Amino acid sequence: MTGFWIVAAVLTAAACAAVLLPFIRARKPPAGGSDIEVYRDQMAEVDRDFERGAINAAEAEEAKAEIGRRALRAADADAASARTARTRAARTLASLSVFAVPVLALGLYWSLGSPGLPDQALQARLAANPTENSIDELIARAERHLVENPDDPRGWDVLAPIYLRVGRVEDAVLAYRNAIRLNGPSAERDAGLGDALYRIAGGIVTAEAQAVFERALAEAPDDPKANFFIALGMAQQGDAAAAVERWQAMIADLAGDSPWRGAAEQALARTQESMGEPAEGNGPTAEDMQAAAEMSAEDRNAMIEGMVASLDQRLRDNPNDADGWRRLIRSYAVLGRQDEARDALRRGLEGVGLSTDDGRALMRFAAEELGIEPAGNP
Amino acid sequence: MTVEIGHFALVLAFALALVQAILPLAGARLGDERLMATGAPTALVGLAITALAFAALVAAYVASDFSVANVWENSHSAKPLLYKVTGTWGNHEGSMLLWVLILSLFGGLVALFGTNLPATLRANVLAVQGWIGAAFLLFILATSNPFARLVPAPIEGRDLNPVLQDIGLAIHPPLLYLGYVGFSVSFSFAVAALIEGRIDAAWARWVRPWTLAAWIFLTGGIAMGSYWAYYELGWGGFWFWDPVENASFLPWLAGTALLHSALVMERRSALKIWTVLLAILAFSLSLLGTFLVRSGVLTSVHTFASDPTRGVFILMILMLFIGGALALFALRASELSAGGIFQPVSREGALVLNNLFLSTATATVLIGTLYPLVVEALTEDKISVGAPFFNLTFGSLMVPLLLVVPFGPLLAWKRGDLYAVSQRLFAAFGLALAVIVVSYALIDRMSVFAALGYGLAAWLIGGALTDLALKAGLPRASLGVAARRVVGLPGSAVGTVLAHAGLGVTLLGIVSVYSLEVERFVTMKPGDTLEIAGRTLRFEEVTPVRGPNYVEDQARFAVFAPDASPQGEIVSAKRVYTARRMPTTEAGIGTFGFSQLYVSLGDPTADGGIVVRAWWKPQVTLIWLGAVVMMVGGVFSLADRRLRVGAPAARRKKAALPA
Repeated sequence: MTGFWIVAAVLTAAACAAVLLPFIRARKPPAGGSDIEVYRDQMAEVDRDFERGAINAAEAEEAKAEIGRRALRAADADAASARTARTRAARTLASLSVFAVPVLALGLYWSLGSPGLPDQALQARLAANPTENSIDELIARAERHLVENPDDPRGWDVLAPIYLRVGRVEDAVLAYRNAIRLNGPSAERDAGLGDALYRIAGGIVTAEAQAVFERALAEAPDDPKANFFIALGMAQQGDAAAAVERWQAMIADLAGDSPWRGAAEQALARTQESMGEPAEGNGPTAEDMQAAAEMSAEDRNAMIEGMVASLDQRLRDNPNDADGWRRLIRSYAVLGRQDEARDALRRGLEGVGLSTDDGRALMRFAAEELGIEPAGNP
Repeated sequence: MTVEIGHFALVLAFALALVQAILPLAGARLGDERLMATGAPTALVGLAITALAFAALVAAYVASDFSVANVWENSHSAKPLLYKVTGTWGNHEGSMLLWVLILSLFGGLVALFGTNLPATLRANVLAVQGWIGAAFLLFILATSNPFARLVPAPIEGRDLNPVLQDIGLAIHPPLLYLGYVGFSVSFSFAVAALIEGRIDAAWARWVRPWTLAAWIFLTGGIAMGSYWAYYELGWGGFWFWDPVENASFLPWLAGTALLHSALVMERRSALKIWTVLLAILAFSLSLLGTFLVRSGVLTSVHTFASDPTRGVFILMILMLFIGGALALFALRASELSAGGIFQPVSREGALVLNNLFLSTATATVLIGTLYPLVVEALTEDKISVGAPFFNLTFGSLMVPLLLVVPFGPLLAWKRGDLYAVSQRLFAAFGLALAVIVVSYALIDRMSVFAALGYGLAAWLIGGALTDLALKAGLPRASLGVAARRVVGLPGSAVGTVLAHAGLGVTLLGIVSVYSLEVERFVTMKPGDTLEIAGRTLRFEEVTPVRGPNYVEDQARFAVFAPDASPQGEIVSAKRVYTARRMPTTEAGIGTFGFSQLYVSLGDPTADGGIVVRAWWKPQVTLIWLGAVVMMVGGVFSLADRRLRVGAPAARRKKAALPA
């Protein structure tokens, strides 16, 4: 910071000195050349041309005569303009300028510049003490190291979970694969890779992810991450009962302070909920019903419409919910909106899977109880 | 700290430019020698400070300091060092800073080498340079500050446009700017002369070297830009009549006219007013080019990010300087004394003819460039004025001009003898005829027009050589004497010969490519061969290659001569720059003599082949070699000691003065 102001002061002083220089210098500045020198030069050139034989004597004489005439005119003009003076106004102007330069420069810099903001050369940033680095800088640092040593097993091991944490899932998959290639599989690496694959798939435990989690469990049967996602996969495939069982077993085994406990408990609750066991918060509550009874027919319809719409929306987000679909189809049928009921059935079949038990049950329910066939070709 | 020092230096340079703009001018008004003398030191210190600011920006680029917004937007830490440096001016802000740096460089040079100038002229010239510098520094600070900071700094930059990641960026913009901005000196001289209301032969003599220097750089810049477009854009065109190209060509045409008219003024004191006007126009066209390219009015690879406030600002600068200079011209031109008189058939007459043609050509290109913009602004219709318009109009203006070029240097000043000159050019005329007949008879697919084009090129080169031979005293003198005389010839005479011959060389290349180019467009798989202009191209393999900040698929082709002997390898590639995920085509070029085999890759086909476009471009390199010859001619002319007024060599001849 002080260094900056010293340099700035030196530069400003140099600029002011440039303005003052002609006033400090005792001797007269060079008067400057004049046209006469050009004509002298032209005369010499005519002579050279004559010597070379490019022009004859008569032409040379004529040319010299003309140059001479011009030189005379120029000499007159020079004499007329050669008067120079030292005026008081000049001194005032120069002093004003010497004052204005620093004021203008500092004022402009103050409003435009970022005084005191240090340079941030990339190399220096990366070489700084790691505890002062931001997470991006740490990542860049590790990446740089790996570009130079692509087969460093530790580097990939360190980088992969960080990628996962900052959400660079594609990079995380690559890093985990490299770590597994160089270090061999381990429960931690496989579970991490599975997590990354799950996120790339947009929150679905794909077959690939499932295989990786199973490999992790082969290494460490009680790895909580792998267990959690295996169970989630079961739930996503519609096997809610197996998922619940798995989560319950997992929660029982977990250490009390495990970060996975909360996640597993929540997932368990959600799944049980969708299975319809404790159906809290899913259908209308007692208060809702009470409120509905006191409303006008119009308001009641509006409330029912609203609840149906919110159910519809929830199922769009989470389509693997056979009970939800059943309720939605029934609601539409009761409201007399047959087209929407058929559409809901189609979406429900897509959501839970046409060939699953749930799907078949849903189709049966719709056809037998409500007389509704799916819209279009599911 | 470096970055902030650079920023402070830039601001200080602006303050100092204002002083440089006001004090010397006031000094010249008041007749105060000390005030006038402030011009030189302020210009020199201004140059040093601007250079410091520029160096700070380069340092930020080299260090990948992404806390500087400009660096973050246009650089990437994985770029090779060369492109980190050149990336400094591969963007709007940095290129404007380079523009100003070169402007202050020319100001500094005038301050250093202008000690022979009359004091008031020097003061006024430096003041006008100060005005231009202050205006552009203000533009940079107000709308395009390269030192704006970014907190917190990102960890990686967005990378430079891949098309610009090329050695061309190291050469083309600096050369072009040296040319553009070099004309500012001629402009400043013209305005200074108008302010003083006095102009004489000496003025032309001082202006000519600056114009010549700018012209040399501009020639190089345009040729380099043309060659760059040729090999980088992947289809081998060398001139597109693109508005941005025209923007650089316009000052070149005006500058060429200025060079010739300054010659008349220097030698014969004639064409004074016209020369002053041309000096103003040449720089005005440079400014117009800057405006067109930098305002976002045109979109091209040159435009970078555009911002309407910038366009308005540059337009204001444009109006201030062009309008101001032309108003001053209108007020003062009548006060300038008219020059000498001359016969129509004379060197002066030939140069006037040259100026007529060149200024008409300038106007033609200007209209063709601006017309679509005006139409779009008024009616929102998008029209494009393309190559056919320019080839027809510009071509038909150039052919007569080129036909008379060889006459000019042979005509005597004041009154020339056309008949005698024609006799001397008989050999060149014979050569041209022979070239027409022989090329038409012997070369396949030769059209009459192409043969005539060859003839014109031969006429230009033959005419230039005739000029050289006559100046050496041939055919009267013996060969030995003539050779000695050639060595002793003044630089400007050699310069004329080379510049005019260079025109012929370029013309030869253009005619060859237009008339004899061969194009092949095929799908190839490894092992396939392709016959083109007698040569055989065999597709060997495709190999993936990883560069510092890109990956590419390199296709290798083996080249075989007509007699089946191998002639090396051509590597053509499709490249993807990882940071911007932007693909580019890297054409493979093999040079055989002056001709080139140009291979460019298209998309891969479903069955594992790849689309290959190959061109045989006969004598194509002559287009740019001709420009190089012209530049060398310019350097000879510039090195001519007679141009340096008051240099010791001239003083020694004092004895020759009659008075």
